Amino acid sequence: MLELKNIRYVKNTKEIIKNVSLQFQESQVTALIGNNGVGKSTIAYIIMGLSDYTPTSGSVFLNGEDISGFSITDRAKKGISLLWQEPVRFEGLTVENYLSLGGRINKKKLYEALELVRLNPNVYLPRFVDKKLSGGERKRVEIASCVLLNPKFLVMDEPDSGIDIMSLDMIHDIIVYLKLQRTGIIIITHREEIVTTSDYSYLICDGRIIRQGASREIIDYYKTTCDVCDTINVPRGE
Amino acid sequence: MCVTPSTFPGVNSTMDIVKAYEQEFDRLVKLYEEHTQDNSLRNNAVASIIVSGNRVVGLNTLNGIGVRSRTREDGVVIIDVNIDDNTVMPVPVHLCTGFLEKHGEQLLKFNYFIGNNVKIKFKSHCILRNIEKLHHKMISDVYVGRNSSLIYEDEHFHDENGGVFVEAITYAKLNQNAFFQNKFSATKTRIGKINLLVDLELMEYAKADLESKIYGKQTDEITIQEILRLNGEHAGGIAKSTIFATDWTRAHVVNEAYGNAAHTMGHIECNEIVKGENVSVSTVPVLKVVNEKAELTHEASVGRIKQDQLDILMSKGLSEEAATGIIINGLIG
Repeated sequence: MLELKNIRYVKNTKEIIKNVSLQFQESQVTALIGNNGVGKSTIAYIIMGLSDYTPTSGSVFLNGEDISGFSITDRAKKGISLLWQEPVRFEGLTVENYLSLGGRINKKKLYEALELVRLNPNVYLPRFVDKKLSGGERKRVEIASCVLLNPKFLVMDEPDSGIDIMSLDMIHDIIVYLKLQRTGIIIITHREEIVTTSDYSYLICDGRIIRQGASREIIDYYKTTCDVCDTINVPRGE
Repeated sequence: MCVTPSTFPGVNSTMDIVKAYEQEFDRLVKLYEEHTQDNSLRNNAVASIIVSGNRVVGLNTLNGIGVRSRTREDGVVIIDVNIDDNTVMPVPVHLCTGFLEKHGEQLLKFNYFIGNNVKIKFKSHCILRNIEKLHHKMISDVYVGRNSSLIYEDEHFHDENGGVFVEAITYAKLNQNAFFQNKFSATKTRIGKINLLVDLELMEYAKADLESKIYGKQTDEITIQEILRLNGEHAGGIAKSTIFATDWTRAHVVNEAYGNAAHTMGHIECNEIVKGENVSVSTVPVLKVVNEKAELTHEASVGRIKQDQLDILMSKGLSEEAATGIIINGLIG
């Protein structure tokens, strides 16, 4: 189990995350839902341990072990990974080199991973992870990279962003595939089609969990309340 | 075809590898093969020019390629390379330059005359190993004929002593609709000290692509000057330098482009990535337009490896050092 306990995160005197506690199970898909700017990606970065995202207070536990002081690398080695919302580009680096992490993963696996994200390996392995890849292609390469890591927990920060609507079924298939590998998936999304693939959801507003439960119930609440909300970071009733 | 290997008395074959200085030839070729895992220099079907110190020690030419060489009294090796009109060479011509002593001076002057409608590629390797102090100076005068394509890749393999001082100077004139790609790289070992100058004159519709990649370590000193003189209408070129500077490396890059004719387009770019607190790097772009229909652009960056690139690779389990290696390998590898 991956667990965040009483996480607070303050940046430039502004409290971004306000005493949040979350639990994620292996083989389970959990959605973090909320409007833009409520702190969803911040939670993703706190889980991954990015240097600018050290919690002001609170702890992160993996299977009971406090990993709050662990670096990104150490967390990755423990089986936590992140699908970045906007994957960066690497000039001069081929898709093959990128996916294999400089030759650390064999080519057969690269073929399998690219086929899962519906990219032709013969076409894409020699291409460069640079400006010439479209946003959608880059995102697919990043998803393939996460699949190759076979993580225990994968945070998918808006996996559908930059990908056309026709490709949502690919995302769905990847989630099913990873779940079968016993990966615990944490999805950050607004999209109903993605949320409905999840087992459990947290609704976030103003850096707080304002509702949690079965995904169908949470997305219905989100659509009728948050999606039509004309204020930012003001939960209903405040 | 013109082959006059004047430094090889009694040898006039055009298809055999000439081994006037067999031991030097073998040592150099072995070093080359160690670095590249490529045995082209022993292949009769591959044209090659092999220079050790101040003499040519191996030569293999093919139809359409003429080579004359001589060593002047002052020790300068002069090599004339003539490519006949309409020559299309399916495999690269290899130029291997080495120095097998610990001290000295190696002075080379290449004159390349590329005829019209030629398509040719040169792969140059400078193998300067186990050097305590060497001045390696290579001046190339290049003429590229109409509608011809010349690709010149120059890779340097030195050692970690840093005792090599390289002066690599290229002056080139590209005639109408000619193409010249010049790639210089020194990324496997210390470079020592280098002054790299590439100065091109482009006539109508000529195109050029210049790229230099250097890895600076310890007290290396790097100076690069790349110049595009876009003199003919519709001429275009790109000059791009990438340096990874570590330790106490000093680097200074000047990229220049001159739009001297209508519809010329030029782009210059310099990326200097630094690692360490004692590095000193700088870049100066120079763009000058004397025709209102010319268009020139530049791009430059100086700084550390981008944190988001490191983060994304570290989130896959790589250490910062390994992630840096992959990023740098992409940029200059």
